Amino acid sequence: MLRAYVWLYLAFLFLPILMITLFAFHATSALSFPFEGFGLRWFREILGNDRFIGALKNSVIVASATSVITCLLGTFAALAFPRLSERPRAALGFLGFAPIVLPGLFLGIALLVLFERLGIFRSLVTVIIGHTLFCLPFFIETVRTRVAYFDAELELAARDLGAGPFTTFRLVTLPILMPTLLAGTILVFALSFDEIVITVFIIGDQSTLPFFILSMMRRTVNPTINAVSVLAMLLTLTMLLVAGGILWMQRRRAIQRRVSDKEIPQ
Amino acid sequence: MFAYAKTLRDNRRERTGVLFALPVVLFLIAFFIVPTVLLFVFSFWQSRSFVLVPDASLTNYIDALTRPAFRQTILTGLTIGLGTATVATVLSYPVAWFIAYRTRTNLLLYIIMLSWFSSYLVRIFAWRTILGTNGLINSALLSLGVIDAPLEILIFSPLAVTITLVHIFVPFTLLLLLSALRNVTPDFLAAARDLGASRMKVFFRVTLPIAYKGFVGSFMFTFILAAGDFITPQLLGGRTGITTGLLISNQFRQTGNWPSGAAMAFILMAVFLVVYFVLVQVLRWFRLSPGLRFHPPVEELRAEMAQAKEA
Repeated sequence: MLRAYVWLYLAFLFLPILMITLFAFHATSALSFPFEGFGLRWFREILGNDRFIGALKNSVIVASATSVITCLLGTFAALAFPRLSERPRAALGFLGFAPIVLPGLFLGIALLVLFERLGIFRSLVTVIIGHTLFCLPFFIETVRTRVAYFDAELELAARDLGAGPFTTFRLVTLPILMPTLLAGTILVFALSFDEIVITVFIIGDQSTLPFFILSMMRRTVNPTINAVSVLAMLLTLTMLLVAGGILWMQRRRAIQRRVSDKEIPQ
Repeated sequence: MFAYAKTLRDNRRERTGVLFALPVVLFLIAFFIVPTVLLFVFSFWQSRSFVLVPDASLTNYIDALTRPAFRQTILTGLTIGLGTATVATVLSYPVAWFIAYRTRTNLLLYIIMLSWFSSYLVRIFAWRTILGTNGLINSALLSLGVIDAPLEILIFSPLAVTITLVHIFVPFTLLLLLSALRNVTPDFLAAARDLGASRMKVFFRVTLPIAYKGFVGSFMFTFILAAGDFITPQLLGGRTGITTGLLISNQFRQTGNWPSGAAMAFILMAVFLVVYFVLVQVLRWFRLSPGLRFHPPVEELRAEMAQAKEA
């Protein structure tokens, strides 16, 4: 009974997406059944669209920059938590989490007002700032839970054994946190790649992929939207699978290493 | 001597902590705190023929609150938000329960999360295709002869917006519910069942009090995300589905009145806060929040136990 319900739930989640994928390969422009055969017409059409290619390129630039900046800022923030005493820690926790609680709309208009007052020209840079603000809480929360489980004594032990702070970070902290950092960064990339709510307010003349899709959706019901959607989902899916693969391989390597360490007499 | 060395090391550790936190704190002050304060200040300014005039009046707030059309958008937003949050929570709870207590791997969770990453706009477009005048449901019903003319209510209505938002946010709701349920270890449930509590009672007396924060958080998050959304109402809401979020976004995107939009945004925030307090209060009334004072008095418990023995 419950099992059947779970299947229904999955169907509710995935059938609409599968439908979009199906219609992306539709030979005709009809968006209803009966299905009239497969074709790549819509993909050819969209891949020949320069504005689409430009938007895709911009999205990759924005998502990459957002990932790198968020990862740098967020990792240091996550590492700061166990080092701070109670009150600053609570303050940092609150500040780092607060942007999540507000709807994207609020962040978007607040940033728009700031950029306008400061006379900052709206461009991909402002979009990257907005995306970083939106993604930081997700990243910090992800890494913070891992850092909380991480034994701080390990760092202290390394220091006692004579390693400098930088060596300790490189040889102890970073390897332990690496999988989490990677997962968090991929999450940020995916979030940024799909972000539209804040973007609409702080984007300049250029266009990101979701912004391009939105302007298409506002104009007409155009079957090429299906093809664009499928390409966007494919990209995100590939990223997630690659990240999953890397994590899995790392875990296997770690397990192997643990076994081989025991065999080497020291 | 040792204690002294330890404090020295702790001091240094704390200093590194402050140093590590500094970049993110500066970033958040510059791009979160300052803009929010600025927006708040803006909400008291005036816009006279598209020129912003510094002011300190409540005109924008009063104007908005006295306009029936604005109050209507608040109601629409609340309906959509509460509807979405309720449906998403009710739909997700059994699945979260299933993942928490009936599966060993997280595979199912990963699969569900995958749908979360399948683009927000794509899902709006999918529901437009399904619910549209020439959409799947209408064309299916027409060809079956159930209806003579396409159902217009399906698309461009608060209903269409709610269905779509449920679909968009349900994985997120599930994730939060699941992490709340992870705090309720199966041992607690088994113990309560062994002591003779019914499934209902286990839920209300054990699960809910322990996972209370997570449940409320998951409901509120879904509510805020749904009620604050403006792109779905814009694309699927039609004339009856205009929410405050959409109104605010229009003020800021077209040649609108920014100070008025800022005031509306803070009114919306206040409404969210009110919803939170009402939710907490309602749960308290129904004695569903945790806390010692809500436990039934000992006599009541004894009576219940005696009853259970007889049965």
